[in-house]
Amino acid sequence: MSVMANTSDIILEGVGLKKHFSSGGLLSSPTVVRAVDGVSLDIRRGETFAVVGESGCGKSTLGRLLLRLIEPTGGDVRYEGRSILELNKSELRRLRRDLQIIFQDPFASLNPRMNVGDIIAEPIWLHNLAAGREKRERVADLMRTVGLLPTHSDRYPHEFSGGQRQRIGIARALAGDPKLIVGDEPVSALDVSIQAQIINLLEDLKDRFGLTLVIVAHDLAVIRHMSDRVAVMYLGEIVELSDTDALFDNPLHPYTQALLAAIPIPSPSSRQPKVLLQGDVPSPAAPPSGCRFHTRCPHARAVCKEQHPALETTPDGRQVACHFWREIQGAGAGSISAPPPSAALTKRLALYRTWRERQDKPVATSP
Amino acid sequence: MGHEAARQSPAEVRHIGNAALASEPPLLSVEGLSVRFDSAPKGVNVVDDVSFSVSKGKTLCIVGESGCGKSVTSLALMGLLPTPPARIVAGSAMFDGQDLLTLSERERADLRGDKMAMIFQEPMTSLNPAFTVGDQIAEGIVRHRKVSKAEAMERALDMLRKVRIPAPEKRLRAYPHEMSGGMRQRIMIAMALANDPELLIADEPTTALDVTIQAQILTLIRRLQEETGTAMILITHDLGVVAEVADEVAVMYAGHVVESGPVEAIFDDPQHPYTIGLMGSVPSLGRRQGRLATIRGTVPPAELMPKGCRFTPRCPFSDTRCGNELPPLGEIRPGHLARCWYAPLEQKRGTAA
Repeated sequence: MSVMANTSDIILEGVGLKKHFSSGGLLSSPTVVRAVDGVSLDIRRGETFAVVGESGCGKSTLGRLLLRLIEPTGGDVRYEGRSILELNKSELRRLRRDLQIIFQDPFASLNPRMNVGDIIAEPIWLHNLAAGREKRERVADLMRTVGLLPTHSDRYPHEFSGGQRQRIGIARALAGDPKLIVGDEPVSALDVSIQAQIINLLEDLKDRFGLTLVIVAHDLAVIRHMSDRVAVMYLGEIVELSDTDALFDNPLHPYTQALLAAIPIPSPSSRQPKVLLQGDVPSPAAPPSGCRFHTRCPHARAVCKEQHPALETTPDGRQVACHFWREIQGAGAGSISAPPPSAALTKRLALYRTWRERQDKPVATSP
Repeated sequence: MGHEAARQSPAEVRHIGNAALASEPPLLSVEGLSVRFDSAPKGVNVVDDVSFSVSKGKTLCIVGESGCGKSVTSLALMGLLPTPPARIVAGSAMFDGQDLLTLSERERADLRGDKMAMIFQEPMTSLNPAFTVGDQIAEGIVRHRKVSKAEAMERALDMLRKVRIPAPEKRLRAYPHEMSGGMRQRIMIAMALANDPELLIADEPTTALDVTIQAQILTLIRRLQEETGTAMILITHDLGVVAEVADEVAVMYAGHVVESGPVEAIFDDPQHPYTIGLMGSVPSLGRRQGRLATIRGTVPPAELMPKGCRFTPRCPFSDTRCGNELPPLGEIRPGHLARCWYAPLEQKRGTAA
């Protein structure tokens, strides 16, 4: 969370990004899945930008497009004002240092036959950043930075727990001194207590190294906690983009409203019947006409079926793609009312934090 | 755990009516259940001295992280634990007047899918891809009821309607792969409820689903429970889900129940340091309030498990006594138990050491 982020200082920009995957075709007619279909966004230097949506909305594909890990079908990505689609091989390799990614499943993304020291040292070696003793020192430094013991550098990924593997993935991403890191569901495979450790670690690292974070996730509580701005995706499109607090306090798009209403609230005293979204997400191979959300939208009217709503900017600088957002806002399915924790819980949490800090002091492994 | 008459939601009160619920014994009562794996070091049970009970029409949530023993507990109750390597070494589970753990394999099989049913996390791996969903639901009915195949299919169709599947006649002949994740989970629920079970065990039923679909399934489960009065054990790691559906909660850590009680007590007045740490680890949905509280480290491997309280190495409040002597599940208030030497913390750990 940085207040420093200058609104005009854009580090990475997606312009009309499209990614269509086609399948079949030899004997059957090909089906085209429009995973990302015309997405434009700016990511500001130093902010944490979140992309949220349900399975199949295209959020992971968007994350990969932003790093040019896959080639877009259409549109452009600009890093520091320059298109990354035109870069030649050596320029692209340089870019890979600046833009990094952390994956959801740390086990699947670490080479099981390399020890952890080598996994973390690989980017340092690839980019000729250091060699010999200096390289080993850097690896030890990185391991300490992410809360791993440098003495474990000769161990293999399978010897670590899920949370530790995610730390290895983060250390590797940090090895080339990146400017921006995309986290593709970086904590969703982890247990709650480990998830909190990794969230805090990412925030510490962001402050320490002045990183920009792009978090792709489905967990709205994690997003609210971590991000400055949020883009909500549905079937390959951004339906709402806004400052995090504004989005959670007053969601404009009916899909955002439905998403927020569906979150289980961790407070048994605030149980209440919910207005639920009906049905499933339609297939991105055959998205509905007009507004793609109209098949599930409680507010849909005739025009929604026919006309595709453009992403328009509201007077307070938010973006929303809905024909009727003015009328819908505050129509009941609004913000989530998470009641404050009870007095007893607040008191005990404070006590827990006090003792927890004391617990860390004698060891002092993480900065 | 039969003391919660005052906390019933209006819907439950309506459903249960005037029956003298308080005096009725719980439907399932588990006492001192311990399970060990053959490969584990001596004295370290994967589930250790676990006790809880569930009453008719009520929901018990078992909460805990990977490896806490919540799934092993449920599989032990269903009689689905493979022996070896798993062995039930102690305990009893009284269900309908009989101890589940002493029944023969044949008797267990008669109960499973009839009076007791289970829903799993990943519906695709629990459904047979080679048969239509109608066949699969009917199979369980034919196994336990004296009905013809046609009657069973009729009942299967009923069940699809009950779990609110659109176009049920058509879906009856569909294969699992033709359905979405949410629909498949509805099929699993239809299967589990086909014989009107008295007890339903749901192991992370919504974890694999998107949040809007999760809300649909949770609402469906709750509604069906109101209609049928089925008791439910819901196993989850998601505190939000617990807050939405539980009547009673048991928090498990590394095979022990560390805290249990009515859902309000657990959320509003948590006592065990693990429960408190867990709540501090979950980001709030309200405006951001500083860094998350964390629990240090990870669950120790079995060979390093302390013989006292298993949370000792991670607990900010622990001392040498904690690691050596297992605290009892002490009563904080009637029905609210915590396994900690220092609960309530503000009294015993309130002043700076």
